[in-house]
Amino acid sequence: MFELICNVLLLVFLGYTYFTHVLEAKVPKSYLKNPNVLHPSVWPKLIIILLVICLVINIIKIFKKNKGNPEFSFGAFAKNSLVFLKSKMFIGMAILVIAALILEPLGFVVTAALLMFAYGMLLGEKIWWRLAIISCVLAVFLHIAFSGLLGVSLPRGTVPFLRDFSLFLENLF
Amino acid sequence: MSLGEMFVSGLSAVWGGGTMFLMVVVAIVLGTIFGALPGVSATMAVALGLTFTYTMGPVPAIVFLTAIYCSSITGGSITAILFKIPGVPSSAPTTFDGYPMAQRGEAGKALGVALLASAIGGLFSALIMFLLATPLSKAALAFGNGDMFAITFLGLSILIVLDTEHILTTIISGLLGLLLACIGQDPMAGVARLTFGQTNLLSGMEMIPVLIGLFAVTEVLKQTTTKKRLSAEDGVGNKGKVNTKMPSMKELWSIKMTLLRCSIVGTVVGILPGAGATIASFMCYTMENKLSKYPEKFGTGIIDGIAASEASNNAATGGAMVPLLCLGIPGGNAAAVMASALALKGVQMGPRLLNVQPEFLSATFITMIVTNILMVIVAIGIAKVFAQILAVPYYYLGPIILLLAMIGSFSEGNIVGVFVMVIAGILGIVVKYMHLNSAAIVLGLVLGGMCEKYFSQAFQKAHIVTAEMGFGDYVAKVFESLFGSPISAIVMTCCILLLLSPIYMPLLKKVTGKGKQAA
Repeated sequence: MFELICNVLLLVFLGYTYFTHVLEAKVPKSYLKNPNVLHPSVWPKLIIILLVICLVINIIKIFKKNKGNPEFSFGAFAKNSLVFLKSKMFIGMAILVIAALILEPLGFVVTAALLMFAYGMLLGEKIWWRLAIISCVLAVFLHIAFSGLLGVSLPRGTVPFLRDFSLFLENLF
Repeated sequence: MSLGEMFVSGLSAVWGGGTMFLMVVVAIVLGTIFGALPGVSATMAVALGLTFTYTMGPVPAIVFLTAIYCSSITGGSITAILFKIPGVPSSAPTTFDGYPMAQRGEAGKALGVALLASAIGGLFSALIMFLLATPLSKAALAFGNGDMFAITFLGLSILIVLDTEHILTTIISGLLGLLLACIGQDPMAGVARLTFGQTNLLSGMEMIPVLIGLFAVTEVLKQTTTKKRLSAEDGVGNKGKVNTKMPSMKELWSIKMTLLRCSIVGTVVGILPGAGATIASFMCYTMENKLSKYPEKFGTGIIDGIAASEASNNAATGGAMVPLLCLGIPGGNAAAVMASALALKGVQMGPRLLNVQPEFLSATFITMIVTNILMVIVAIGIAKVFAQILAVPYYYLGPIILLLAMIGSFSEGNIVGVFVMVIAGILGIVVKYMHLNSAAIVLGLVLGGMCEKYFSQAFQKAHIVTAEMGFGDYVAKVFESLFGSPISAIVMTCCILLLLSPIYMPLLKKVTGKGKQAA
């Protein structure tokens, strides 16, 4: 059922995109006067049309494949969705989203340490204090190695003392 | 300058009193490590290498960057085999057979084959380039936009044979990749498309975060649901210790034709601007699958698959340097970084470079020969280190991969890259449950922009012009754009045959099967 819902949602999204968002601005008139040029909407519209055809065939195939399958129902899907929301995979996804959100304000060092600690606990580390120490050391090491030594820019954070700490690490070498 | 004189001049540039040779060794170590790190692409490796070349002269700079480039492509195979995470996109086909071999406890053998195939492919292309650089670059210069479109489209047609069991979902995946590549300003008119009002998307979909998300983050997310997680025993056997085992003469002999074919195709594909190591490796993997006497074994862990992927992607590095040095056209992103590095030093790239400063060509190709030999030794050592990393429990390894992925996505200094990576990682899970093919999405994304650009340019240059373009004129113009030259006509016919193969191949098999039964 999840596969079917995703295919239908994709189909609806593509339909919406086709009619509203293929071109976000008007094509210059001088460009359109030239009969030799390809209109900017041709290529994406062609792809969307082909995608819609393929998705419709795929949806029919999913229906045919699951004919008579008791698991292929909205009730079973709702039940499975609740199980998924409590799963480790969903928590993992949430951790990643939170990490992306806090990266800019808190900077790489704090975000990396928190991400490593949270994900490590999720994956089954039992000794929390060992994980906490390793997370902090590794976050500092990576910041020094990439930002300080290799010159790769990493976010320092917008909180003043965290920003100062990042700058201190970068200037160590 | 004769070939002999060029050879001597190249040797002296690479040796450089011993100091330059030492720098080449450092570059090989750095390149292999960068290539092996998930999320650090060959382009990023060359870009990171730039910081070391600011104080060097132009020739030492190109020598240093070439060594990093070649070795990073090889380094990518290490993590592709041990982690199922291609260090560089061109190593993606290596995972198809390398990882199953590692799971069977044959990681050492898989690595041995990968390194040897890489060295053979790299040496072959360097040698061919050294001998044929000028005539080959002239041939590539003669390619029109229609020909380039046909060649790029050939790369897309390969999608159909990536997963013969799920042709429809593979086509959907490829089309989704092509649609993602349309995001941003269109290549001809510069009009914003599919951005949904987001100014961050005007420059297009960021490739590296998408690749990192789909290949690295999705894999780490999947590990949260598996009861028996990736560990040293699963990945490489013998508690994370990998002893790289070179293939025996018998094994090497059995893949001789694979190595030869893939080295030739990889070199030719590398020469074509835009069509780099990634297309070469996908193309050669599929080609060998089709030509093999045992195609059903591809993807189950056989040395032929690894040899095809690695020989071709390394051969493409040699090819990619030719348009850069002879024509001033970067063969790919990494070559573009090198071109900008040389431009900073006042080197004028183009056809005149060979006549005025032939040492650029000789030094580059001698570097490629030296690098392809030395990197085998360096990579064996680095593979041991990476295998030890697998001995670390996954509750440490998984988060470390995520941290490297985060650094890789942010390396362009844009927080949007990190969001794109996270979204791509989560969508990678959705893709899995929808039975879509993430490799096909990536191929569509990589080739989409080029494909559209070449088609638009070929369409613009087609001869049919009328003031009022009717539908018939439009179709005739499209036909001329696609089949206007002998090269594009031949390649497009191959593409059509490839795309229709799922329809006619079963019929052919049926006919030949009946013929055999009748006999």
